Amino acid sequence: MSTVAERSTARKRALLEEKVLDEIDDRLGTSKWLRNAMDKIFPDHWSFMVGEIAMYSFVILIITGIYLALFYSPSGSVVVYHGPYAPLDGQKMTQAYESVINLSFSVRAGLVMRQAHHWAADIFLAAIAFHLCRVFFTGAFRKPRETNWIIGLTLLLVAMLEGFSGYSLPDDLLSGSGLRVVFSIIQSIPFVGVWVAFTLWGGAFPGTSVFFTRLFVIHEFLFPLILLGLLGAHLGILWHQKHTDFPGPGKTEHNIVGSRLWPQYAIKSGGLFMFIAAIVFGLGGFVQINPIWVYGPYSPARGSAGTQPDWYVGWLDGALRLWPHWEFRSFGHEIANPFFPGILLPGIVFTIMYAWPAIDRRLFADNEEHNLLDRPRDKPLRTAIGVGALFFFADLTVASATDLIGNALNISFELLIEILQYGSFVAPIVAGVVTYKVCNLLNAQNAHPIQRPVGGIIVRDARGAFHTLGAEHAHEAHDGDRHGNGGDSGHGGEEPGLEAAGLEAAGLEAAGLEAAGLEAAGGEPAGG
Amino acid sequence: MSRTNKSRALAGPAALVALAAALFSVLVWAVPAPAQSKASTNVAAKAPAKVAAGTVANDAGGTIAVSTNPATITAGQFLYDEHCQACHGSGAVGARAPQLLDVGPAAVDFMLSTGRMPLNSITQQPLPGRPYFNKTEIAQIVAYINFVDRSHGTPGVGIPKVTPASLSEGNQLFLLNCSQCHDASGAGGMLSHGYVVPSLRQATKEQIAEAIRVGPRPMPGFGPGQLTDQQVSAIANYVYYLAHSGNRGGFGIANFGPVPEGFVAIIFGLGLLLLVARLIGNRG
Amino acid sequence: METVREGTASRDGEGERPFELPEVMTGTHGPEDGAGTGTPWPDDVPPEQDDTWFPLRDQPWKARRLEYLIASLWMVTGGCGIGLMICYWTGGQAQVEGALLAAAFGCLGAGLVLWARFLLPGQDVVGSRGIHYSDQEERAAVVASLSRGTDAMMARRGFLVKKVLVPMGGIFGIAALWPLASLGPRYGRFLYHTAWYPGARLVDENGRPIRVGDLEVDGVLTVFPEGHTDDTLPQNAMSPAVLLNIGGDVIHERKINVGFEQRSGGNGYVCFSKICTHAGCAVTLFNVLSMQLVCPCHQSTFNILEDCKPVFGPAPRPLPQLPLLVSPDGYLYAKSDFVEPVGPGFWNRGGPA
Repeated sequence: MSTVAERSTARKRALLEEKVLDEIDDRLGTSKWLRNAMDKIFPDHWSFMVGEIAMYSFVILIITGIYLALFYSPSGSVVVYHGPYAPLDGQKMTQAYESVINLSFSVRAGLVMRQAHHWAADIFLAAIAFHLCRVFFTGAFRKPRETNWIIGLTLLLVAMLEGFSGYSLPDDLLSGSGLRVVFSIIQSIPFVGVWVAFTLWGGAFPGTSVFFTRLFVIHEFLFPLILLGLLGAHLGILWHQKHTDFPGPGKTEHNIVGSRLWPQYAIKSGGLFMFIAAIVFGLGGFVQINPIWVYGPYSPARGSAGTQPDWYVGWLDGALRLWPHWEFRSFGHEIANPFFPGILLPGIVFTIMYAWPAIDRRLFADNEEHNLLDRPRDKPLRTAIGVGALFFFADLTVASATDLIGNALNISFELLIEILQYGSFVAPIVAGVVTYKVCNLLNAQNAHPIQRPVGGIIVRDARGAFHTLGAEHAHEAHDGDRHGNGGDSGHGGEEPGLEAAGLEAAGLEAAGLEAAGLEAAGGEPAGG
Repeated sequence: MSRTNKSRALAGPAALVALAAALFSVLVWAVPAPAQSKASTNVAAKAPAKVAAGTVANDAGGTIAVSTNPATITAGQFLYDEHCQACHGSGAVGARAPQLLDVGPAAVDFMLSTGRMPLNSITQQPLPGRPYFNKTEIAQIVAYINFVDRSHGTPGVGIPKVTPASLSEGNQLFLLNCSQCHDASGAGGMLSHGYVVPSLRQATKEQIAEAIRVGPRPMPGFGPGQLTDQQVSAIANYVYYLAHSGNRGGFGIANFGPVPEGFVAIIFGLGLLLLVARLIGNRG
Repeated sequence: METVREGTASRDGEGERPFELPEVMTGTHGPEDGAGTGTPWPDDVPPEQDDTWFPLRDQPWKARRLEYLIASLWMVTGGCGIGLMICYWTGGQAQVEGALLAAAFGCLGAGLVLWARFLLPGQDVVGSRGIHYSDQEERAAVVASLSRGTDAMMARRGFLVKKVLVPMGGIFGIAALWPLASLGPRYGRFLYHTAWYPGARLVDENGRPIRVGDLEVDGVLTVFPEGHTDDTLPQNAMSPAVLLNIGGDVIHERKINVGFEQRSGGNGYVCFSKICTHAGCAVTLFNVLSMQLVCPCHQSTFNILEDCKPVFGPAPRPLPQLPLLVSPDGYLYAKSDFVEPVGPGFWNRGGPA
């Protein structure tokens, strides 16, 4: 019901838009790029939004982080606390710890901001990990996207280091213990370890007064800059190469199906951003995280049960617990114990992950370009290796909580550690084999194909005519599926949109696409 | 669109906002705001102020007197014979379980008031639970064992009296002597050989002081040569404060540190966001 | 409510018919048929094929209701803003702030998502992926440009680069390592020696010297060398030690290194480094029943009665033991420093200090 008034407002707005854009274009010549950008099509499968969750968490991290940095004092000099928190009254502590205590107790919204920052960091890493899994299991890292895989892995690595350096800033008992362990790990590196550790800390552990300045510069400046740069490159390459998509009706290696950036995708994405902010700040207000006032100031003589790193470093902490008491000594030198689980293991893990696109190319003798994704079952071997790796990481992560699990379940940590030591070998293999079998089984049965609700896809053919692939075709396809294929349509019952189950199975002849002169989709007919 | 239409159009949203605001304020009211509660701020602000520095006296705390009334002792003996004698032997001389001839009132009161005793099986590690006896019964058994110990010439450790003390001193002592096993938050942990380190968050001040003095194995005891009564009181006060001052930051999620935090971040944080993404995105 | 929007290229007066291309070919390279970037919008699109269709287009009443809902949600956001101001004005409270922030952002997001899902065109559009790489001609041109430039530069002057620039630049680069080296001092004695010295009395964290008899049998205490109780200083950080009274008479058969243990009147004192030989955490979970020390970080377990030999977990070496003596007036003191480096291993641990 567009009224005359509305139309004239629209026209006025259009004139204004034109004027502004004209002025800009006169100077920067942006129109061509801008129109491309606004009309750019993004596939909007929900699993493609996990990377966005990571990105928006990062934005929240920057905003909350700036606020926190206004109050944090990166100094190791010792002060005596006199403040509202009675149990610390009169105690000696570093200025760094005192400033975080004051931030939590005296600064307006300080505690919420600090907790939201920490929750956002945990969610940031969780989203990156999930995004990595999605990319891995769907083969999205294949040519031409190897560069972005490598950048993404570097983002993960730097994000982990960034998270750990943030965890270490408050100089409470927990972060001090974490730094102590990291110092020991660095110190264990052959030849240079001690020198590197002493260089970073400005002296022997727990470091001289310059240490917190350095840690702060690293956390506040160095790593965020690297993250920002890499994120820019990650997105730029994504923009240039365009997003991958699942195979489906109307989708080919050469087209892209989705929503335009402006306004649909931008508004959806903005909505997602707001939801992330809501959850992060909700957690920040209602779920306590890292109560540093409870842990107290750090001193090397103090310890606390339940000394664990944040979850994303848990697998390394677990590896430290599971690694046997081996050390290598000869000719007056030794390779100390923490080197193997603390340096060698992550080194190997990240090397394999960095090399994975190359390994994958050889494994499947596939050097082709791919814009359409694999379903996990399409490559049982890759999926099996991925699931095995996930079980390995899960095993190590569980190992970082042996004392707490022991306490909760009344099992000795000796037994738990032994189980998990064997588990780190057995679980990945068993999980991998089972996954492999399940993939093959699914392939044989052709159960639950990737499907999407076909509300109506508009396709334009070479002559400029438009064709709507909509519900009327879905019926045909559904029939075809039922008669010809016998695949399951049980999953389609979940929602009406999925009634079109098996569209792709039926092939696109049924949808009449070929007649429309468009390159036939179904390059990878899921029906097999 | 006319003006009246517009105002009518705004009435709906306005009502909704009012409703939401009302609901919200109720919610905010109902949600506990732990650290801001009056009780805790009192503990926080006043307790340390009262304790001037340098007033540490070794006998500041002292012990709580145990009844020597023959009727109480008899009642205690009756309860002992019924519930404890099977393991600890007649007259507390020990049988399948250790003798109690020198344990003193603190150990008995600790074991009974925290529900550690009586045990179902002597191979079990005594862990805190709901006390089996009520306060009067505990006092009676304590009186009886006290009587036995005194007759034996080895009175054992008396029930320490907890006096108001500095939270700050308690915090320092706790973090140096206790937190490595019990966690800085007092949530407990795990020792070797499957011994569970219990949580301190349900303990009373007296129970904490008793445990420090007695050393319920596998925990070591801390004698007066190591911690003065004043220091024991300080620890007891701090642990009690820790458990009862609430969590400023919101729900404490078991006060176990980064592990449950990670769970919440992944399951609740990312999980919820994935649901949102599923609502927003296509589900193919 | 229909979206009326005028395309930039065909905005020449007749804006009567709503039009919006249902499909755009995007990508800088454009598809083969030429309908790529910059191609004028054809304005003869039949209305039924436009993409102004949105899920609630044919239910204006529902759409109107949704508009109200969205408006209400965003008003809640505004209300939360007012609430936050009041909250800050009155001093702030973490839970209230969290609730208001969450509600504000949540409502903002819900409104946006509802708008996008139900009031914005919901049909998928199809476009060409275009080509993300260059063709052979362009590649050849780049190679040509590069070698033309390099040739011009290097012809007869290649020695400048090879013989001068590279070595001189290398020297300059090495010079940059010196400031880097100034970041940390030489590690000197810190890893080999602690603050313990011959005759150092054992004191607790408050500096009170420990006498025989202060600890009960099976008692445990963290001790420091007298005068070095501030363990947050680098020179003292490796000094904290665990003093244990393992009793004298009852447990005489326990195997403890002779000369490191002090017995006196039913007490038997042993003292071990508190710094774990695995990763340096403070080892002081003390299991009296099994006479074991356990590290809270990685559960390394040390048997006290075998000179703190590691019996479980990743710790590779026993906790170093401090040789003890008792002075005539009953104070415990150290005979010397630890006889081996304390704490986690490192490359030169076996070498001279």
